[in-house]
Amino acid sequence: MKSIESFPLIIILILFVSAFSMPLIKKIKIVKGISLVSMSLAMILALINLIYVIDKGGYLYRIGHFNAPYGIEFRIGIIEAMMGLLFTFVVLMIIWYSIYSIDKEIKQSKIALYYLLINILIGSLLGVVYSNDLFNCFVFIEVGTLASCGTIIVKDKKENMKATMKYLIMSCLGSGLVLMGIAYLYSMTGHLNMSYIHEELINCYLNYPNAVLIAIGLFIIGLGVKSAMFPLHNWLPDAHSSAPTSSSAILSSLVLKAFVLLLIKILYRVFGMEILEYYSVLNIILILGGLGMIFGSVFAIYQKNIKRVIAYSTVAQMGYIFLGIGIGSNLGVSIAIFHIIGHAVTKSALFLLVGAMIEQTGQKSLEHLKGVGKEMPLTLGLFTICSLSMIGIPILPGFISKWHLSLASIEAGNTVLIGVILLSSLLNAVYYFPIVINGFFGEENLKGKVYKSKSKPLKELMPVIFLVVSMVYVGLESKGIINLISLGFE
Amino acid sequence: MEGLINNYYETGAIILFGIGFAILLLHNNLIKKIIGMNIMDTAIFLFFIAKGYIIGRDAPIIIGAHKGVHGYINPLPSALMLTGIVVAVSTTAFALALTVKLYDGYGTIEVDEIIKMRSD
Repeated sequence: MKSIESFPLIIILILFVSAFSMPLIKKIKIVKGISLVSMSLAMILALINLIYVIDKGGYLYRIGHFNAPYGIEFRIGIIEAMMGLLFTFVVLMIIWYSIYSIDKEIKQSKIALYYLLINILIGSLLGVVYSNDLFNCFVFIEVGTLASCGTIIVKDKKENMKATMKYLIMSCLGSGLVLMGIAYLYSMTGHLNMSYIHEELINCYLNYPNAVLIAIGLFIIGLGVKSAMFPLHNWLPDAHSSAPTSSSAILSSLVLKAFVLLLIKILYRVFGMEILEYYSVLNIILILGGLGMIFGSVFAIYQKNIKRVIAYSTVAQMGYIFLGIGIGSNLGVSIAIFHIIGHAVTKSALFLLVGAMIEQTGQKSLEHLKGVGKEMPLTLGLFTICSLSMIGIPILPGFISKWHLSLASIEAGNTVLIGVILLSSLLNAVYYFPIVINGFFGEENLKGKVYKSKSKPLKELMPVIFLVVSMVYVGLESKGIINLISLGFE
Repeated sequence: MEGLINNYYETGAIILFGIGFAILLLHNNLIKKIIGMNIMDTAIFLFFIAKGYIIGRDAPIIIGAHKGVHGYINPLPSALMLTGIVVAVSTTAFALALTVKLYDGYGTIEVDEIIKMRSD
């Protein structure tokens, strides 16, 4: 049973090794097969690992059997194991979907490279999630950034180049700030391992009050840029709306989440509650999260391109996660992590469905997508379920996180936040409902449209159906999941 | 003030970091942006390595007799920055390749002109 403990490392190795075998193979069908098999293997290992961790509790895994302050460590708790399963599951579904549709979006010669990039991207994101070593995390962040830039530029259109450049510049800024933060922490504590930094920092942070504050600021801004915290989000809509369908699903549902999770790890494991309360930096995250929730939705209302609407909705949903982090209580952070799970499943399904609509009708603007419900009833039906979750209808995960965020804000004595959450939900409804209503109803919209004329074959929609089912499951099982998360957060 | 002068390596590194940061954000020319990014990265390397250096001690390479723990500097920051340099080089290469592609597509590397082209 001891061998299960090395599964996280094996997952990352499988993804990296299989990635570099892909460009050697000429037949695209085999490349797709390798991608699917390696990812499903990773998912199975992640599932076994999660079951083991729930059963036996979290553990520290030494890489290369060097003891902690000298060697690199993986720290696998319940949250990390859960994220491993979530990431591999969502990506598996997205790859499954992309197998049918990727040929229409990118050139034949680049498909092998595209799957290489996806495997590297997921491997590095899992590295960020698992690792307990700050510098190791930084290297994984950089690998992930370059790989995600690659998944945008692979489409080779003019707008993609511009979006990638914007994303690359902002990301480099972010990683520069993160590295500077690591330099500050290293010079104060002499460690790179998160647990050891925490031990040292708790003893000595009063000696360097300014340096610790600067380090916290560097990490918040650096990772905030990468995870689209509100005023730093301006790269996101371009990058996510111009990328190929499967890339935007991965970027929006997973890449941002890994960086948020790293921010949570750094804030609560490296600095710890005591230091955060001393500087009261959490209030800044709280305010930025609240602003993001409202302004992300407001910007989304004014968009005409359906993919940009979904991209701005991501900014708003990231606001919920930052709000949960900013509340600073155990419940708040648990809900932030629950929202990571719920949003990852929902947003990936939404992007895939929108991609299906654009692919079948050839139209991107909301104006031309009116009446799409008659042509593609199943697609828009699934879209409706996902958008209900985003707006916050009971049972679905969106509602659960909003409800518990409200409870957490009452617990923290900050009732203004309930108004913010309510306002944001109403704004969500303002831009999601018109898509659905104009799609299904209205006499003039449906004129001349043939029922089911453009619907995708059922087998191509299966992965999305799986994602929607798992979303409903996350909603139904929310109580157990939140309990597990708060157990892991202790 | 005295602290700033005594730790002149760190002060210099932070000033360089600021310069690189400003160039990366404020310049319109993509090549200059990439240069700014490199200055920023180099500033961090300088900061890290200055933190590991102790005046009057040797590089941790044993020639002849071992001088004991206090004879050598801390080698870890230098080793970390080696990785950092590799990362910075690959990012720069990617950014430059992207700039070439942008020039092929738009015919210019000035960001403001590229942004203007969208509105047309």
